Amino acid sequence: MAMATSTFSPRSATLNKPLRAGIQLHLIPFPHLSAGRLVCATAAGEAPPVEVEQRDEAEPAPAAASNGAAVKAEAPAAKTEPPPAPAPVPAFRDARWVNGTWDLTKFDKGGVVDWDAVIDAEARRRKWLEDYPEATNTDEAVVFDTSIIPWWAWMKRFHLPEAEKLNGRAAMVGFFMAYFVDSLTGVGLVDQMGNFFCKTLLFVAVAGVLLIRKNEDIESLKKLIDETTFYDKQWQATWQDDSTAGPKN
Amino acid sequence: MTSLSSAVALPSSCRARPAGGSRRARMVVTRAAASSPKLPNGRRLRVAVVGGGPAGGAAAEALAKGGVETVLIERKMDNCKPCGGAIPLCMVSEFDLPLDLVDRKVRKMKMISPSNVAVDIGRTLAPHEYIGMVRREVLDAYLRSRAQSAGAEVVNGLFLRYEAPKEPNGSYVVHYNHYDSSSSNGKIGGEKRSFEVDAIVGADGANSRVAKDMGAGDYEYAIAFQERVKIPDDKMVYYEERAEMYVGDDVSPDFYGWVFPKCDHVAVGTGTVTHKADIKKFQAATRLRAKDKIEGGKIIRVEAHPIPEHPRPKRVSGRVTLVGDAAGYVTKCSGEGIYFAAKSGRMCAEAIVAGSANGTRMVEESDLRKYLAEFDRLYWPTYKVLDILQKVFYRSNAAREAFVEMCADDYVQKMTFDSYLYKRVVPGNPLDDIKLAVNTIGSLVRAIALRREMEKVTL
Repeated sequence: MAMATSTFSPRSATLNKPLRAGIQLHLIPFPHLSAGRLVCATAAGEAPPVEVEQRDEAEPAPAAASNGAAVKAEAPAAKTEPPPAPAPVPAFRDARWVNGTWDLTKFDKGGVVDWDAVIDAEARRRKWLEDYPEATNTDEAVVFDTSIIPWWAWMKRFHLPEAEKLNGRAAMVGFFMAYFVDSLTGVGLVDQMGNFFCKTLLFVAVAGVLLIRKNEDIESLKKLIDETTFYDKQWQATWQDDSTAGPKN
Repeated sequence: MTSLSSAVALPSSCRARPAGGSRRARMVVTRAAASSPKLPNGRRLRVAVVGGGPAGGAAAEALAKGGVETVLIERKMDNCKPCGGAIPLCMVSEFDLPLDLVDRKVRKMKMISPSNVAVDIGRTLAPHEYIGMVRREVLDAYLRSRAQSAGAEVVNGLFLRYEAPKEPNGSYVVHYNHYDSSSSNGKIGGEKRSFEVDAIVGADGANSRVAKDMGAGDYEYAIAFQERVKIPDDKMVYYEERAEMYVGDDVSPDFYGWVFPKCDHVAVGTGTVTHKADIKKFQAATRLRAKDKIEGGKIIRVEAHPIPEHPRPKRVSGRVTLVGDAAGYVTKCSGEGIYFAAKSGRMCAEAIVAGSANGTRMVEESDLRKYLAEFDRLYWPTYKVLDILQKVFYRSNAAREAFVEMCADDYVQKMTFDSYLYKRVVPGNPLDDIKLAVNTIGSLVRAIALRREMEKVTL
């Protein structure tokens, strides 16, 4: 079954190789999967944590989670442990989730906390609970607050790649537009920037790039404008119909 | 909002913050009183209040006190209305409610996010502040009895329809089924009766017949579904002063699930506007989330009711007007309606009393519109803020996570409770507001970023 996994995601095969039955090597591959290579990370990333659960807790939960959920990583696990009785609702378990919050000492990476791993772990926890809602427990209340993750970790992970992409697009389009206008009119780049019409076009282009990333965004923006005023209209409806009595807006 | 304030160039003494205190020294100056005709033969103005809930009871009492001849029609005197039953502090003071009406004083609320992050709110409450939980049958009966003592005639009957007057100052004819208490329950049949009135106040709730007759139009509504569960005493201790709110797509796509303590049991429920057919599924999810805390409980009652989402397109027509749920005065986000029902009933009655110069003159539609204008002006900020909160924070699981995270903040709790308990939208310290705005945006951005990560995870 480990072979089956490797056919889906070639990179994970190299990472799965060191994992042998009964040996706790899980945490080592995981931190490497942090930033950037997300596709591979999720494919291979799910393997180690699931292994963690299996070995740490010897829980039937993850194996039982294969009730419908196409979890590729269950396959190697099932080979090493006999399939236990299926639990009706699998509970979320993670070695690093202690007392309703993430134990940051377990995310240690060379002396500093690996915030990317924390973000990944929390994303996984939320996904798990979204798919398998659990009963709340007053003894073990969940108190994790995402604001403990510093702002720069969020910035580095989410904002910077997106900003790079957008700026890259803007630069490419900008260069060719400048070249094109120059070839047509003979006006160089510096003189183009001085022109009011060009400045307006630039402003429109920047606003467009910021607001509209996908085709669907145009519709969403229109709907948003409608939405903000819809409730007001509903309240003022009673004043609209009557022209004789009552104040008009 | 600006358009509404410009519309209110009315002479009424619309002072800035009347909502907080119980003393409302408002004198509604009315032009109508002078111009409308005096009633013939010195008879008093007759008004029918259809529906005996909080809106009807409050309206009937204020009308009777103002010298108007009032008839209150209620179809079921012991009606156990399905309702969350939460009333704000200002209602207790404004309506002089005796404290034994309040079954429980909720001082702690727990907000639970889709991933079970639990936040306790209520730290900022002063010792005398609480959310009152009432039984509707007790509250409604009390308000009706007060109306009766003030001079209103309370009739047990089912409103059927009304007929508009033929001439401009003619009477409305109200047709109803009279249930005689002396006969067997009066539930089956009842005697068809009718009487004439000068004005009608429709306080007959979400499925208002008065609204239908006057062509008020429809509103979108949510279905609120609730099970009353009697849980063992040791589990009841947890809910002694605590109410819970569960948010999440599993519990409701556009509302929330709740566990509210009642007198000796809890009410577990949820609601939805857009996915009414799945309400049972949402209820099961709510029960699952609270499973350990209501384990061993017995369901003693299952109830459901529509809740309006916004006011009807037309709230007044001729001398017929709507108040309470019939008008659609339920807030978004929290779904609160009892206070606004009672308040709108009272304000409508006061406008009628003033417009008729204490029952001596005929009223006109303009007098009723004065009540609408005053109500809209007073409570529009509250409704709008709650609408914005719902639009922003009930959109998706990510937004709900951010919402619960925000609720952990003391400033947010203080603002929330201030605006709920006293129906005031008071802007706080601007620096704190800026900090709040930054924190809100931060929470939302983080939650949405996590959401994008979640989409990449396959379990």
